Amino acid sequence: MGANLDINVKHLTRVEGHGNIVVNMTDGVLEKAQLDIVEAPRYFEAMLKGRSFHEAAIITSRICGICSLGHQMCSLQATEDALGLEISEQTVLLRKLLTHGATLQSNVLHAYFLAAPDLLSVGSVFPLVGTHPEVVIRALRMKRLANDIGDVVSGRAVHPITPVPGGFTRIPTEQELLTIKTRLEEEMVPDFLATVDTMEALAGAIPDFTRETEYISLRNDDEYALYDGDICSSDTGRVDPHEYRRMSNEHVVSHSTSKHCKVNRSSYMVGALARWNNNHDRLCDVSLQAAERLGLKPDCYNPYMNTIAQVVEAGHCALDSVAIIDKLLAGGLKDEQPNQEPTRYGTGVGATEVPRGILYHEYTYDRQARIVAANCIIPTGQNLANIDDDMKKLVPEVVDKSKEEITLQLEMLVRAYDPCISCSVHMLDVDFIE
Amino acid sequence: MKIFAVGNSFYGDDGVGAAVLEQISEAESFPGAELFDAHTDALSLLDHLAPGQLNVVVDAAEMGLPPGTVAGFRPEEVDLKIKSDHLSMHGFGLAETFAMARQLGSMPDNVLIIGVQPERVEIDQGLSPAVADAVPVVINLIKAEVQPDE
Repeated sequence: MGANLDINVKHLTRVEGHGNIVVNMTDGVLEKAQLDIVEAPRYFEAMLKGRSFHEAAIITSRICGICSLGHQMCSLQATEDALGLEISEQTVLLRKLLTHGATLQSNVLHAYFLAAPDLLSVGSVFPLVGTHPEVVIRALRMKRLANDIGDVVSGRAVHPITPVPGGFTRIPTEQELLTIKTRLEEEMVPDFLATVDTMEALAGAIPDFTRETEYISLRNDDEYALYDGDICSSDTGRVDPHEYRRMSNEHVVSHSTSKHCKVNRSSYMVGALARWNNNHDRLCDVSLQAAERLGLKPDCYNPYMNTIAQVVEAGHCALDSVAIIDKLLAGGLKDEQPNQEPTRYGTGVGATEVPRGILYHEYTYDRQARIVAANCIIPTGQNLANIDDDMKKLVPEVVDKSKEEITLQLEMLVRAYDPCISCSVHMLDVDFIE
Repeated sequence: MKIFAVGNSFYGDDGVGAAVLEQISEAESFPGAELFDAHTDALSLLDHLAPGQLNVVVDAAEMGLPPGTVAGFRPEEVDLKIKSDHLSMHGFGLAETFAMARQLGSMPDNVLIIGVQPERVEIDQGLSPAVADAVPVVINLIKAEVQPDE
């Protein structure tokens, strides 16, 4: 007689939003292995209708507390594409710098606060504050500097204010950028190298599991693509971002309030591991050396290694930020005004990499530059089908382990994707002490 | 004095902290006070909490009280629930931030939390009437804290 297994993890911890893991195996036959999304859908797209092009990026940056910058960048790209707003090279460089800061912050926090507790078999980051305070302080120091990049370039780190359609309402000063550069070189780079040491000590606990899938990310000719580029599939190569619907195929499934996506197979993966697989040849040497030490090889098919890929690209974000600042300063900072004179009214697409993967925004504007239709496809939605497919392969492979071990391995799998099921609301829950 | 807001103003009454800061800023109610809106990144308070000063934190709080009810309390007076399912990057809330500040020895002595009971926390801009009415109550509570004799 084959194994029987019945796992039902309600409201998985350390992921954003509400998702349940449901696994059912009877007599060795896997009947169900899936991540149920029970979060109520949020209607940002409906909220965008009727809004002016000035408002779109402000509203969409609130979709998410941590990906606010990515949503804003993608929204600005879509608006500029729809309205024919040309932007300067300086604007592109400043946006790339912001994107690096946001990626750094998110990757560092995920690795230290959300993934490391799994690798150390402690329930949360709090025990680590007691046992490894210097590591937690290092993580917070890296987060602060990443935040400060956002503060200097965009006015504030969360829900930035100065990036607008056509440019920036305020350009950082040379001194502000020099200060960030010095701190990147003197604080962030050593902290990154120490992070590699820490993660090398933990990497042995990463489960050995592989499932080859389709990997989708941005790719361009010049650099490790984060801010912009073509859509690149590991199966079929590069296409223009305007082809994004064909490269996502959102569809409804019964067990999820979030839509699923597929392209050339039943599922595909987006995020740091997809970026690594598609773009590792564009990373800086420091990141490539880190990858080698951490056992991350080109064409890695282990989804648990997504966390390692996040760490590896954090080093690239730090060093490329220095290079971007050098480029900005070499050209001399120009006090430009944003270009906000539409040259057309129509449909535009934005495609950018946020920490969890490729993000698409599409807006259609009327002749008053007001939105008549909007579509946003977020990375976590694109990964859901891939998570289900991973579970279906993983469960039979680990079925001889205890139910607790299997459950933990499934939870770690979902957390490795760093999913962001909903946007969060930070309400305090208070009991008064009588 | 530092006055902090935590919450997302695109989620209805979760934006009460931001509304309080806006009102204080417009009316210049507390000249010299430093205002900081942490938005959804409560963890960023770790970089800004000031020892030796009064730190006021305004947030929507589920207290089981009628909507719009305002309550000021010290962190040690209440059990701020650490929610394991809030321990995502987004969900690193105030309770978790204070727990970490205490563990790291960076928790200031003088922290006043002002909680406002929300009516609805869902995607929408703007406060419900009961919570909008609570904004001046919050400001008066801060005034009473800094000018206890008036």
